[in-house]
Amino acid sequence: MPLDTSAYSLALLRVDGRRWNELRRVHAQIRTQAAADGSSYLEMGHTKVMCVVTGPSEPGARRGGTTGGAGGGGNNAAEVSVTVVVAGFSSVDRKRRGRGDKRNLELQSTISNALAASLHTHLYPHSTISISLHVLSQDGSLLAALINAATLACVDAGIPMTDYVVACTAGSTSTYAANDEDADPLLDLNHQEEQELPSLTVATLGATDRVAVLVCESRVQASRLEGMLAVGVDGCKQVREILDRVVRDKGRKMVSEGTVERGIGLESMDLD
Amino acid sequence: MADRRRINGPPGATAPPIYEDDSNQESSGFKATRTRQPNTIRRMYLKTGVTPSASGSAYLEVEMPGKSGASGLKLSCTVHGPRSLPRSSPFSPHIILSSHVKFAPFATKQRRGYLRDPTERDLGTHLEAALRGAIIADRWPKSGVDIIISVIEGDQDRGTAKNQADDSWEDMNVLSGCITVASAALADAGIDCVDTVAGGVAALVRDGSDNGKTKIVIDPIPSEHDKIEAACCVAYLPSRDEITNLWFKGDLPSKEAGLYQELVEQGILASKQANRVLVECLGETVG
Amino acid sequence: MASTQHVLLSPAELAYIHASLSLSPPIRPDGRTPTQFRPLVAETDILPGTNGSARICFADGTEAIVGVKAEVERTPGADAVYDPDHAYDTNAGETALEAGQSDWVELSVEIPGVRDDDSGVAFLSAVLSEALLADGAFSARLRINRRFHWKLYLDILLISPPLSYPLPLLSLTTHLALLSTRLPRLKSEGDEDPFFDDDWAAAPHLFPRHDTTTTSRPPITLLVMAAGRNIVFDPSREELAVADVALAVSVVATTAGTGKKGGGRSLRLLSVRTIDPPSRLTPPGVANEANSAYGAKAAGLVAGQGQRQPEARAAEAERVEGVWRAPRGGSKAGVLAALVGKVLEEGGVVDEVLEALEGVDLG
Repeated sequence: MPLDTSAYSLALLRVDGRRWNELRRVHAQIRTQAAADGSSYLEMGHTKVMCVVTGPSEPGARRGGTTGGAGGGGNNAAEVSVTVVVAGFSSVDRKRRGRGDKRNLELQSTISNALAASLHTHLYPHSTISISLHVLSQDGSLLAALINAATLACVDAGIPMTDYVVACTAGSTSTYAANDEDADPLLDLNHQEEQELPSLTVATLGATDRVAVLVCESRVQASRLEGMLAVGVDGCKQVREILDRVVRDKGRKMVSEGTVERGIGLESMDLD
Repeated sequence: MADRRRINGPPGATAPPIYEDDSNQESSGFKATRTRQPNTIRRMYLKTGVTPSASGSAYLEVEMPGKSGASGLKLSCTVHGPRSLPRSSPFSPHIILSSHVKFAPFATKQRRGYLRDPTERDLGTHLEAALRGAIIADRWPKSGVDIIISVIEGDQDRGTAKNQADDSWEDMNVLSGCITVASAALADAGIDCVDTVAGGVAALVRDGSDNGKTKIVIDPIPSEHDKIEAACCVAYLPSRDEITNLWFKGDLPSKEAGLYQELVEQGILASKQANRVLVECLGETVG
Repeated sequence: MASTQHVLLSPAELAYIHASLSLSPPIRPDGRTPTQFRPLVAETDILPGTNGSARICFADGTEAIVGVKAEVERTPGADAVYDPDHAYDTNAGETALEAGQSDWVELSVEIPGVRDDDSGVAFLSAVLSEALLADGAFSARLRINRRFHWKLYLDILLISPPLSYPLPLLSLTTHLALLSTRLPRLKSEGDEDPFFDDDWAAAPHLFPRHDTTTTSRPPITLLVMAAGRNIVFDPSREELAVADVALAVSVVATTAGTGKKGGGRSLRLLSVRTIDPPSRLTPPGVANEANSAYGAKAAGLVAGQGQRQPEARAAEAERVEGVWRAPRGGSKAGVLAALVGKVLEEGGVVDEVLEALEGVDLG
């Protein structure tokens, strides 16, 4: 079903009723799993992903199916290995993607490279941080959701990192073919929009403007790119706020429940 | 998924050829019935040392009764090893067993591909469990042995219609044959075992001719019976009176737990009969 | 990843666990009773995009998600039977098409860090689908009319790394997912092209909740093991590492009549499979008498070369109390029968498990 973009110019509302700069509902949880070193669950709209982090641990014999040896391998820095499993039931029509699927491999290496750059992998030589991501439901912005979930799980695992790696998608209101000069940029595309409109995924290092990942797989006029990028980076900042909130809430809850001891320097943190 | 490196057969479904019987039996409406006693297995032929290049090998053929010339299951097994594990693999205090069961593409009515399908992997797992119990594994630390079985012809009657027989029951017959032939090949390779292990199948069948009553038969041929209610395949070590692998499948009410035990016992009986063939065959080789 | 994944336990630890499991009553490492399951957290209908879904989290942290998706598929060969002019003239093929076929259900198991063509994964999915398809009653539910049927895809995901043998977890999750599965209500009649009600609220469950006559439930597969003279349910990884024998037993429960809880429940045995216990691959311990570090003379130095072999073999065969030896050979038929008997026991573990699963709120 082609996306009807004509209505946008009338009310400036997108197909799901959002404004151009609105994110979808982001819901996140960390420490969803007791046994894992780090785990998280993230929803961006209807895109739902789960992440489990094991490690940093001794590199085991478990190498089947994982890719991405970014971060210098096993010598001086920890290896970040990422596995993405897209559940067969995740999209509307059931489609089973094998483990050797090229799209999966690309997702894996993108995430692996992005995280390896911001995690302090040099603190864990000769070890592996294995991140396994499960896609339960997809409705656009898959890569962004995966990166956000992986970041949260790494925070939960207590792996030192420079800042959150947060990601978000941005697009443009009209198609490439329309060649519309004054097309508005859009934030956080859903599946329907992603199919039709030019889009890019951008990940930044926390609230800074430093871009960690930029993936654009569609044709778009260079003049529009700058606007899209600016909106995307701005969206990343919003996402960072949300993720930070989640982490702080969980931390506060754990301190108040007595699961963890209040550490030094936490006095300044207001516990309500 | 087509395998591009090989010349493949026609894609999709081709109607399997159904041959008229050359004997004077009516092919239409005729249904084979079991003529053997319920407690005897089919005759089988077993020979070891058929593949000179392998360290151990065996060939097993099971007769298909009621047809002259036609024969049922044909299995060939080769054992490679014991040999040292590759350098990259971690230390193992035991011999590492890896078993592969592969149907030849032409072994069954439905053509099998060259890549192993889940059924074949599943059979391989069962076979491994059955043999691992029999092998004295700690005599070969840091070594591995490969057991490769090719099913040259499956246990299917070509004459039966497509819907009449259910493949899944035939897998049990194939497994029991695999266990017996692998055990012979292991002995041929000179790998120490606590005993020879042989497979046996018993099934609870319901036949229209018996007014729908159930009875237990050993070594069943699915096409000979109206319905198989349950079946069980055991791998049995006669001298130790122990079972190394058990696979039961079917639908039995729990009230009749006795029936289940009887099935297992009959499976053991079938295995004992197969073991006699096995021991005789190995005796011939030695003598 | 078969059941044979490596367990990092020393021979002394293995001997200790085995000894404590063989006591009467057995002492399990986590303090459970022999028939007690690990506590679990379960929820259903977690994914609106599926026909049915469930998530179970065991207390040890292993977690699984199962999603069920259904698609309408044309029954092959049925069109020859169907003739629009004589739609109700049914003779040929009626019986053949009444029952379901096993390829109407496709089940896939996904375990992180394991290749999907691994034989252990193939084994797991074979166990699970075998139980589902054993009686043919399940696939018969998927029949729409003589020309169409539902094709059910069951995707079983293990989220956590496989800390223990995941079979019971996957089976229970699949059970719950199937219980929550709903298929759109059929509006068309007879053998015409199916047409469905788009009101999801009106969609009936695949396994009806309140059936008047009999209620059947999806099968469950339990893992049972024996150590010494004891039978232990739902073994953890450490326990499985010392198992003499382990069995996967699939049962299905049918409740005749409603009302009483568990009153008219009768069990049917669907499948039994031996699981190759990882204990066969564990490193053996060395008894002090045989250990040269403790002054034992190396065999073969005293005796002549010719005598060395039989003597070494004799030493191999004897068991020393407290020294771990990987089990060799199989298990007695009686032991296997006792394991199955224990599962089928009335008012036993299966009843307990089913009641617990029925307690899960099915949205």
